[in-house]
Amino acid sequence: MEEKFILIACFLCSISGLTLIYFSSKALSPEKVSIPEINFEMVGRVVTTEGKIVNVRFHEAGHMFLTLQDGKTRIQIPIFSNLMEKLENFGLSREDFREGRRIEVTGLVEEYDGQLQIVPRKLSDIRVK
Amino acid sequence: MMILICLAGILIGAFCGLVPGMHINTLLPLMIFLGNSLKLSSYELCVLLVSTAVTEIFVNFISSIFIGAPEEGTSLSVLPGHRLLLEGRGYEAIKLTVIGGVFGLILTLSLIFSISQAFKVLYKASRPFIHLVIVFFVIFMLASERNVRKILAATLIFFLSGLLGLICLYSSINQQNILFPILTGFFGLPTLLISVSECVRIPPQDYKGEIKISKKEIIKSIFLGSISGLIVGFLPAIGISEAATFVSLLSGLKDARNFLITISGINIGNEVFSLMSLFLVGNPRSGVSVAIQRILGRISLTETFLLIGAICFSSGIAALLTLFLGKKIPKYLERINYKLLCSLTIIFIILAIFLLTGPLGLLIVFTSTSIGLLCNYLKVKRSHCMGCLILPSILFFSGLVQEAIIFLKI
Repeated sequence: MEEKFILIACFLCSISGLTLIYFSSKALSPEKVSIPEINFEMVGRVVTTEGKIVNVRFHEAGHMFLTLQDGKTRIQIPIFSNLMEKLENFGLSREDFREGRRIEVTGLVEEYDGQLQIVPRKLSDIRVK
Repeated sequence: MMILICLAGILIGAFCGLVPGMHINTLLPLMIFLGNSLKLSSYELCVLLVSTAVTEIFVNFISSIFIGAPEEGTSLSVLPGHRLLLEGRGYEAIKLTVIGGVFGLILTLSLIFSISQAFKVLYKASRPFIHLVIVFFVIFMLASERNVRKILAATLIFFLSGLLGLICLYSSINQQNILFPILTGFFGLPTLLISVSECVRIPPQDYKGEIKISKKEIIKSIFLGSISGLIVGFLPAIGISEAATFVSLLSGLKDARNFLITISGINIGNEVFSLMSLFLVGNPRSGVSVAIQRILGRISLTETFLLIGAICFSSGIAALLTLFLGKKIPKYLERINYKLLCSLTIIFIILAIFLLTGPLGLLIVFTSTSIGLLCNYLKVKRSHCMGCLILPSILFFSGLVQEAIIFLKI
């Protein structure tokens, strides 16, 4: 009887915990930072930043690498093939990412090859201005 | 000088391994700052980092087995290790992880150069189907419960954990240290809570540490550990814990002893590979190798041999240190009130989670602990909780992760 009670309690705690985490995560808005403010201590954090596209590079595997600039500071934005495909299905073409355009990106700050980059993970993470 | 630096790394690694929630990645910025302040050369700083990383792997099995406070790589060793501790064979459990680590290191080093090319080809060929391979393993893992009621319960656990993983990894939640509350909740805290509620006492321990499995089984486990460590290193979809789960299911390694050797071999194999990949493919695969790449750039063969030397030296000392601590610590555990120790460890872990991940981390650990405890009461294996990493991997490699994000509106 006691074991059954604990089992039900654990199940209810799991479900209510998941629900609370779900709604809390939806309520969280990523920290807004400018490109020069992004540093190595931010690796692992989700941030939103904005800048001008100064370089666009395509990879044969379907990835697209944007370089964003704000003032004199630049940062790399890799858009991997699975997200790129979804963006194209959503109506954004490669033309929308030409040099000189401003975009706002939300993503995970990561480090690759000693350089910082922001990795967008979903469709709503990229907003062309 | 290099030996002194290795010894300093071993001390820091032992500290990281013993203190719950402390990981070398947390200390990396401080270590690099201190190294620069002490005017260490680039090579000396890198030797310090690899010595710390390798020692942490060996010593972390002590806190994982004796107080149920693991890190990602050692999380699945909690249950088999704790089982042996409660049978009075805690020292044997530690000895098995040391055997797995030391011999796994030797085997990994001898295999890595000879088969790395073959693995690269295999990786390229299997990448389009990697999600199918993982799905196959998951079905196999669930079906291993061998009873419809248990299979359904295991599936529920897998999906609840998977959902938690998806929300934590793809929403706006900060990813820094996020795996700490998730994995401690699944694997560490339920063990501690059960120990407290059942007033578990540590029985008198056997300090002879006689190994109760055959040499053939030991060799098999070391071999499986090293191969799996290499696979984990090459295949980004598979983590240490997933590999240990799959290998134990596939090879029929049901004994806790085999499992401890294998998981230790995987941990050390993965660490060695993550450093070697800097030389082989110029791609860092762990926090330490990222730091080394930042310090040295693309590493040469000579630098690789220097780091391998540091790994071998540190592993030898760390193995002896782990055996020493593995004999000393249970003596204290026998004497002190184990229930009190478990309660204090729970408080310490919760405080560490709060400091590292804030209030949301507390909510995550509450949820993952509930799911972890659910496994106990549903009488299914707790390894199904690895769904928190496996489900997001399947969705990512099958290209369905965007659909899942849209569906969940995260």
